[in-house]
Amino acid sequence: MHWRGQRSFAVENSWLLQSCFVSLIAVLFTVLAETKALAEALVGETRTYDALSRPETGTEALKQTYKRPGLIPFPADNPYTPKKAALGKKLYFDPRLSSSGTQSCASCHSPAFGWGDGLSIAVGDKMEKLARRSPTIVNAAWGSIFMWDGRVPDLEEQALGPIMSASEMNMPIDALLVRLSSIPGYRSLFAEAFPEYGVSVQAIKQALATYQRTIVSGWAPFDAWIEGDEMAIPEEAKRGFVVFNTKAKCSSCHAGWNFTDDSFHDIGLPSPDMGRGKFLPTIVKMQHAFKTPGLREITSRAPYMHDGSIDTLSKVVEHYDDGGINRESRSDLIGPLGLTEAEKSDLVAFLKSLSGEETTAIVPELPR
Amino acid sequence: MRLIAYATIAVAAGLLCGAAAPSKMIYQKGRTFSEKLVQLKAGEPLTFVNNDSVPHNIYSLSDGNEFDLGSQKPGMITDVTFMQPGDVDVLCAIHPRMKMSVKVVD
Ligand code: HEC
Ligand code: HEC
Ligand SMILES: [Cu+2]
Repeated sequence: MHWRGQRSFAVENSWLLQSCFVSLIAVLFTVLAETKALAEALVGETRTYDALSRPETGTEALKQTYKRPGLIPFPADNPYTPKKAALGKKLYFDPRLSSSGTQSCASCHSPAFGWGDGLSIAVGDKMEKLARRSPTIVNAAWGSIFMWDGRVPDLEEQALGPIMSASEMNMPIDALLVRLSSIPGYRSLFAEAFPEYGVSVQAIKQALATYQRTIVSGWAPFDAWIEGDEMAIPEEAKRGFVVFNTKAKCSSCHAGWNFTDDSFHDIGLPSPDMGRGKFLPTIVKMQHAFKTPGLREITSRAPYMHDGSIDTLSKVVEHYDDGGINRESRSDLIGPLGLTEAEKSDLVAFLKSLSGEETTAIVPELPR
Repeated sequence: MRLIAYATIAVAAGLLCGAAAPSKMIYQKGRTFSEKLVQLKAGEPLTFVNNDSVPHNIYSLSDGNEFDLGSQKPGMITDVTFMQPGDVDVLCAIHPRMKMSVKVVD
């Protein structure tokens, strides 16, 4: 255990004492346990670890951690086929998946708004507001947990949720199967993409998930810079990249090429929504915690946050500089940053470099 | 009286030896636990080291072995002692991909 060699003797000694103390309690409790079952594990005193290696902060080394992946990952139990993806695309853009025939997935996750909807709170089939803002679905192939509160494990499971939800597309699944089966064009597309099961729940899930995995953020000026083109982004954005990774600590959560850790944090917004806390009510740090959104195509999908409460990137940066509400659940990484005006505008310039070239998403012709 | 004193010394000596034996360590660098599965005796401590650059929040909701370390900052070490034999799922609340199991035996 070489790390212990790096401690002073005093530290070593107190460690030993603490261990003794812990073991003493442990023994006492073991004795007790024989007569009475115990409710919880024992947590000892927290102490410091001295051999901590500091993360890399040199710009060139940092840039290496932002390279785009070459291939889209598809799960083994739902591999990519062009026919599945093509069917999924039609389903995704088809308003006939909603009971009123007016709402498709693309109503709320539209290529026109960076695969969000540009609204602060999503609006459902009966023009009623939902509880939260529509997140982008760009780069969902790399996601490991879904929804603002992480309640859905994968894209296959996600697909039926909005279709059946009374406040979203409001379409009972049996009625949907009847409706799709009555459209000859769909019958043949399903039969070709899924010869084993045809028009079915399984096929709808797999087709929608497969199509969504093909929605990848466009090549951005930032990517060209990462690949070595020094002229691709302005100097402000380069300085902003450094602030993002160091003083402002943004990269502690918005990590890697897609700028997310797929994890849950309370960033101190005033919203009453408990987010992840609904599922982990006893874990203090999960109250008001939401999944970190990726930052690709960020300029096209304002307003921001799970409640759409911040309308510009400058105000987002102001929020982080201020630190928001200081409550027990707030992440340790959030708090007043003391950024200068120049650092703030550099950060915004950097965020703007993450939007890809304009993609001309071609809306498919739908089967009749 | 004397008997009690001897007994105390014996237990204390035993404890010292026990303490000198290093406990099992779990590191958390790169948002992953260094082990997927460890086996422990009930009452034997497991040491969680945050040698990462971000805070973690290790917890378990497994029956009889519940705990919540809260936010464990980089550079911190905490021992957890499981008292109930059984399988314990240990997770990080912040980073749902961090998962490991502890098998606690009698
Ligand atoms: C009425 C608007 C609306 C419609 C229609 C809609 N969604 Fe959503 N979608 C949302 C909202 C709002 C959320 C976030 C809900 C939450 O986290 O509580 C969401 C979340 C998602 C997510 C999770 C993204 C992530 O990164 O966590 C995916 C994927 C998704 N929707 C796909 C779809 C698909 C596929 C359809 C069509 C079958 C669809 N949505 C229809 C509003 C909508
Ligand atoms: C502790 C983790 C953490 C840190 C540090 C952090 N963020 Fe965030 N960020 C999040 C989470 C979580 C959300 C979503 C919060 C919500 O909606 O409640 C978010 C949301 C955002 C959004 C809105 C994205 C969207 O689609 O709505 C932007 C932009 C953003 N952050 C930029 C930054 C910048 C710039 C920094 C550094 C100054 C930063 N973040 C630091 C976790 C973090
Ligand atoms: Cu963690």
